[in-house]
Amino acid sequence: MAESVKPYLGPRWFADPVQATKDAAQRAYRFTGDRRAWLVPLAIGIALLAISLIGLVQDAKRFYFAYLTGWTFCLTTSLGALFFLFFHHLTKAGWHIVVRRLTEALLWAFPLLALLGIPIVFGMHDLYHWTHHDLYVEGGPHYDPVLAGKRAYLNQPFWIARMVAYLVIWSVLAYKLYVTSIQQDAGGTGKHQQKLRNVSAWGLPVTAVTTAFASYDILMSLDPHWYSTIFGVYMFAGSMLAMLALVTLIALVMQRRGMLQDVITREHYQDLGKYMFGFTVFWAYIGFSQYMLIWYAGIPEEIAWYQHRLQHGWGWHSAMLVLLHFIVPFFVLLPRFTKRMLPLMGFMSVWMLVMHWFDLYWMVMPVYGSEHAAFHWLDFSTWLGLTGIFVGTVMYRVKRHPLVPEGDPYLEESLHFENA
Amino acid sequence: MEEQPTTQSAHASDGGPGHRPRLIGKLSFHELTERVAGHTEKQTPLAWYGAFTVAVSMLGLLAVCLAYQIWNGVGVWGNNQPVGWGWPIVNFVWWVGIGHAGTLISAILFLFRQGWRTSINRSAEAMTLFAVMCAGIFPAVHVGRVWVVYWMFPIPNQMEMWPQFKSPLLWDVFAVSSYFTVSLVFWYVGLIPDLATLRDRAKGLRAKVLAFFSLGWTGANRHWRNYEKAYLLLAGLATPLVLSVHSVVSFDFAVAVLPGWHTTIFPPYFVAGAIFSGFAMVVTLLVIARKIYNLEDIITKNHLEKMNIIILVTGTLVGFAYITEFFMAWYSGVEYEQYAFLNRALGPYAWAYWIMMSCNLISPQIFWFKKMRRSIPVMFTLSIVVNIGMWFERFVITVTSLHRDFLPSSWGYYTPTWIDIGTYVGSFGLFFTMFLLFLRFVPMVALAEVKAVTPEADPHAHDEGDGRATTDVPYVQPAQEYSAYRSADDDPATT
Repeated sequence: MAESVKPYLGPRWFADPVQATKDAAQRAYRFTGDRRAWLVPLAIGIALLAISLIGLVQDAKRFYFAYLTGWTFCLTTSLGALFFLFFHHLTKAGWHIVVRRLTEALLWAFPLLALLGIPIVFGMHDLYHWTHHDLYVEGGPHYDPVLAGKRAYLNQPFWIARMVAYLVIWSVLAYKLYVTSIQQDAGGTGKHQQKLRNVSAWGLPVTAVTTAFASYDILMSLDPHWYSTIFGVYMFAGSMLAMLALVTLIALVMQRRGMLQDVITREHYQDLGKYMFGFTVFWAYIGFSQYMLIWYAGIPEEIAWYQHRLQHGWGWHSAMLVLLHFIVPFFVLLPRFTKRMLPLMGFMSVWMLVMHWFDLYWMVMPVYGSEHAAFHWLDFSTWLGLTGIFVGTVMYRVKRHPLVPEGDPYLEESLHFENA
Repeated sequence: MEEQPTTQSAHASDGGPGHRPRLIGKLSFHELTERVAGHTEKQTPLAWYGAFTVAVSMLGLLAVCLAYQIWNGVGVWGNNQPVGWGWPIVNFVWWVGIGHAGTLISAILFLFRQGWRTSINRSAEAMTLFAVMCAGIFPAVHVGRVWVVYWMFPIPNQMEMWPQFKSPLLWDVFAVSSYFTVSLVFWYVGLIPDLATLRDRAKGLRAKVLAFFSLGWTGANRHWRNYEKAYLLLAGLATPLVLSVHSVVSFDFAVAVLPGWHTTIFPPYFVAGAIFSGFAMVVTLLVIARKIYNLEDIITKNHLEKMNIIILVTGTLVGFAYITEFFMAWYSGVEYEQYAFLNRALGPYAWAYWIMMSCNLISPQIFWFKKMRRSIPVMFTLSIVVNIGMWFERFVITVTSLHRDFLPSSWGYYTPTWIDIGTYVGSFGLFFTMFLLFLRFVPMVALAEVKAVTPEADPHAHDEGDGRATTDVPYVQPAQEYSAYRSADDDPATT
């Protein structure tokens, strides 16, 4: 196999850009599940999105807001995987090798998300207030001097150009990490290790900056008068949580199906749990810092954002976010034994994924209508529809390649890893 | 499973991929003890007395400046009406920041199971304690009436008056005092096994003193089990503490409505800056200490290189925060915000801003080159440059935001006086006096921990063969082949 890992350029390029290499894998590391693993989520996803089209006709604005939330959910999960791999390549971490291929499977979502992002471009007028041209007519009834001042940054062509640039950059980085790792399976040489580290070294700062600006573009500019310097860090914290939860969940489900037995052990789940705990606290730290500083100073142009999230029923959402996104997982994930209790880890993974979506929902939806907090069926159908397609393609990639990076020199270390 | 183990063992011996580089030089347990314990036992070198004299004189300068200021009032500083916070607060934040690397090394790197922390954590924690002492002086004396600072503590009193719990300056009192206490306990817990080692080697009065401080440590299995648990718990508690302390320090500024101060990125950005400057200080101190105390194969270039990587990462994070602040100031559309940042880059304090930018954002980028990361003169110079830059960062944040804000009629300019400068210079006296005493009397490397990461401590270190059981089932691979370790000549101290 070695360097002969050929790029795959069929119609399924959006799902996997390289040829299947599973056949060369050791038996223990082969995907032994059936087609349902990727077909079922994919089919459910497509069906749910098709049903959501009815909602698009009924209430286009709601559809776009719900769709944006679901799309950002998938995007942040992939971004989290990108960060996770950068950190571990750069620190030469040994423990994570057995879950690395599952993490890598989350990476190649950016081209698909670019495709799935097209509806957002159509919905921009509904989503983003700053796209309204009458705001910029000087002397007009809707003239907004603040938004006019930002027009150099917040305008439709530049916004689309930025989104394309982000997705291209992330795709290139994802491709490099993913393909190098698959090439390494044939027998690791120092060359592959070095390449993964080199890509991570420049990829990390580039991804950090683009993630921050993407968070301003996608989420913060929904309320174009509001600003917060910490916002990019907040989105990063949520990304890491979502990615950890999804990797844990996929690992647990695959082990249930008889794969990766004795490869991913309780020791690895404990580490994933520690990460999940750590990022729960980090998320709360960033979220609370943002809230406290804005509440404390009470500057009118900033405080409005929180006012919209504390009135008309949204106060409940905010309170639930504190309770269910921080306090409950904090106490559940704190002891050692809970992180080693596999059914509980599965439950907490689903929990954190739902909470990450709820967090995004809480950021996006009050812009749709701050006077009534109520769920709509579209919120769920678009989110689960997009996530179904996302997870379906993740499983498609998983089944085509060895389940662990076989050629990684630290694999043995990871297999025998213990929390000492 | 026929290929995997063989590739692994092939890599392990030839230093290829999968080979974890050796942490310290080829030293047996006994040699380690001799080397580390020796520096507190041998006769004090003359250079130590020289340095100590200088440090104590600077400490005297601190005492004089503080006495003069307390007697005459805070008006002896350069603070004025718009700029009510000058050097004292700048120095306070700077010293607290220095301290943070110690806790990062001892607690956070412990949680991440980083073996390389063992050689440097003792001195880094000591540095934390002394830096927090220096920092603690400033909040106490920058008030106009130092004799009533105890009013900041929630003590029941005849006035039925309590402190205002909404003030981040009060949170500072709690944050810094608990930070100092926890750091001290953490450091002391780590010291106990090493003090016992010194006790066992000492005679006479010295043995008695060490016996007192080592609390009857015998190194029993039961002791170690409890010790490890306590250490892990303290590391787990110290980690949120260290993040919250500098966040609270950042709240002093960020809760205000002042343009340039009121920004939500301050908490994580101050923490990143603290780690940045703290690691720079550790590099400055250890580059000298390892040379003088002949510890170059315990605190190796690999250790220094890793610290330099952290300096690079946190320096870039800080630079990213600078850019974010600048962008958001423009994006906010608030003219005061926009002016505050233009004033930093182009106003009367532009020199300070550009010193900050070049020292913090630009100069650490040289560490992208491996050669530079491993060069002692380069890292020593840069570690000092970084701390100059970080001092200016605090200066820029404090002074440039205050001296020109909402009302142009209350714009001013701030110039420090000799008392400001003397107090800051004097605080180095306190720091170095304490640090020199530490070097003299306490093992500066955590002996017990370094021994635990040597290859001999691996239960499989002496295993013959490839570590497999007799069947085909892979058993446990030795973490590092002991024989290869003993014979290899790639000495981490020199390569």
